[in-house]
Amino acid sequence: MTASLGELRPVRVVGVGLHPYQRPSDVPYTALGVHAVRAALADAGLTWRDVESAYTGTATTAMGMSRLMYRHLGSTGIPMAQVENASASGSTAFRQACIEVAAGLVDVAIAVGVDKPLQLSLPQRAAGVRDLVGSRVAPITHFALLAERYMHDHGATPEQIALVAVKNSRNGALNPNAQRRKARTLEDVLASPLISGHLTRLQCCPIGEGAAAVIIASDDAIERLGLDQARAVRVLSSASRSETVYDGENFDAALTRETAAQALAEAGVTPADLDIVELHDAFTVEELLYLEAIGISPPGQAARDLEEGQFDIGGRVAVSPSGGLLSMGHPIGPTGVGQICEITAQLRGEAGDRQHPGARIGLAHMVGLGAVCLVHILAA
Amino acid sequence: MAIMRVADHPGLYDPADEAPSLAGSCCNVCGRVAFPPVAIGCDLCGAGEASLEPIELEASGILHSFATVHVRHGDLEAPFTIGEVQLKAGPLIRATMAPDQANLAIGQQVSAVWRVARVDDEGIEVVEPVFVAVER
Repeated sequence: MTASLGELRPVRVVGVGLHPYQRPSDVPYTALGVHAVRAALADAGLTWRDVESAYTGTATTAMGMSRLMYRHLGSTGIPMAQVENASASGSTAFRQACIEVAAGLVDVAIAVGVDKPLQLSLPQRAAGVRDLVGSRVAPITHFALLAERYMHDHGATPEQIALVAVKNSRNGALNPNAQRRKARTLEDVLASPLISGHLTRLQCCPIGEGAAAVIIASDDAIERLGLDQARAVRVLSSASRSETVYDGENFDAALTRETAAQALAEAGVTPADLDIVELHDAFTVEELLYLEAIGISPPGQAARDLEEGQFDIGGRVAVSPSGGLLSMGHPIGPTGVGQICEITAQLRGEAGDRQHPGARIGLAHMVGLGAVCLVHILAA
Repeated sequence: MAIMRVADHPGLYDPADEAPSLAGSCCNVCGRVAFPPVAIGCDLCGAGEASLEPIELEASGILHSFATVHVRHGDLEAPFTIGEVQLKAGPLIRATMAPDQANLAIGQQVSAVWRVARVDDEGIEVVEPVFVAVER
C-alpha cells in the first residue's frame, strides 16, 4: 500500500532562515549555510541538538560538503547528505526532509540549500549526447524560443513578457534577502542589453551565492519542544515528477502541468484557492507559461492577467512576492528552499512590506535540468 | 572530382551527401523516431539497443520557433539564428538557420543546405546543415 505525503502524519514548517542572495564573494559556503541555519533555529526556537536529520540542497559547490558546514553548529552525529537535482536541488532536499518526518523516522529535520557557483556541470557532454547546436543554445535561447512561440500562439507582445521582470523587481526591491534590490520600469527592462530573441538581460535571473534553511517538525515534536503552534505552517502535499515524451509540446509547461495537478489533487485545493505562488521564473516568459500550466490563467491569458495587476501583491494571487528567481536571485541549491521561506513568511502574516493580505495557501514550483519538476503546497 | 568534406558533427549526418539528410534512430518496438539518434535504449518504451535501427531523416519540415542570439554563445560570432524545426519525419529538432535568412516566420517550410563551417589545414571543408526557408 502506498500513501501520499498528506496521508502520512502531518509535517509542519516551524522555522525558516536565509543568508541574503548575493554576487559571488570570498565568503565560504560554510559561513553562508551556518548563517541561514542559525536564523532558522532562532525562528523556530530550537537548538541544533533538536535537529535529527539534515538534507543539503546543492549543485555547484563541492562533493561531501555537508559536515564541513554543520560541524560549526556542534557535532551531533546526525545523518546528513547532499541532494543534487539541478535547479530543483533545494526543493528536493525539502521534500526528502518532509518525507522523513512524515514517515516517522525522525521528529525534526532540516533542509538547507547552499551554493556558490564554483563548478558548473555539463551532463549532456558526460552522457556523450551531441546535437546540431551544442553550446550555441544557452538556457536563455531555450526560453527565447518558447517566448517566440508563445507570442505566435497567443498574440502576446515582448512588452507584455517583459512586465514579469517589472513586477518581480518591484517585489525584490522590498526583500532584504534579494540579490537584485532595484525596482525597474518597463523601459529599464527593455533597454537592458538584448541577449537572445526578445529577451533582455533584466529578463534573466542572476546566478549568485546564498543559503536558505527550513526546519520541519512533527506535531509530537511541536508539543514536546513547546514550539509555537500558531506559527507552524502545514505541508499539504509534495509532488515530484520527471519529463516524459511530449511530442511537439513544450516539455517545461507539460511537466509543470502534470506535477502541479498532482500536488493540487493531493492537497485537495484548486488553482483558485492559491494566494501565493513562488515559481521558477529564471526567464520572464516562464512565469506566463507556468501560470497557465498550473491552471491559474487559461491558456494564452496570463500576459493579460499580469498586465491587469492580478499577480501583484494584493492582487488575485501574489506571484513571486519574494522577487522570484529574476530578482531574489537563483543561487541554485538555496532557491527551492528560499521559496518555502517566503511562503512560510507570507502564510504567517510576517512578510512585512511584501505581505499579501489574507494569505492562506501557497504553492512552490521548481523545474530542474533533466528535466524534473517539484511542486509543494503549504497552508496556514 | 568529388569535393572532400567532413562533418562538423560526426554521426549526425553524412557530409558526402549532395543535400543534407539527418541520421536518426527508429525503435522497431514502439516506432519512436529520434534525433539526435539514441543508441543505448529507446526513450519512449525502453527497448534495448538491438531494437534501435539507424534511419535517414529528410532534413525538412516546418519552422516551429526561432531566436536570434545577440551575444556570442559557442563557436559562432553573433548574431546568429537558432531554429526549431518540426521535421516531417516526426522529431522537433534545433538547428542553426543560414545566415542570410531575413523575415523568418513560424509555420514556414524550411529545409537544410550545407554551410561550410571552416576549411581545415589540409583544405578539407568542414560542413554542417543549416536551414533555409523554402520558396513556395
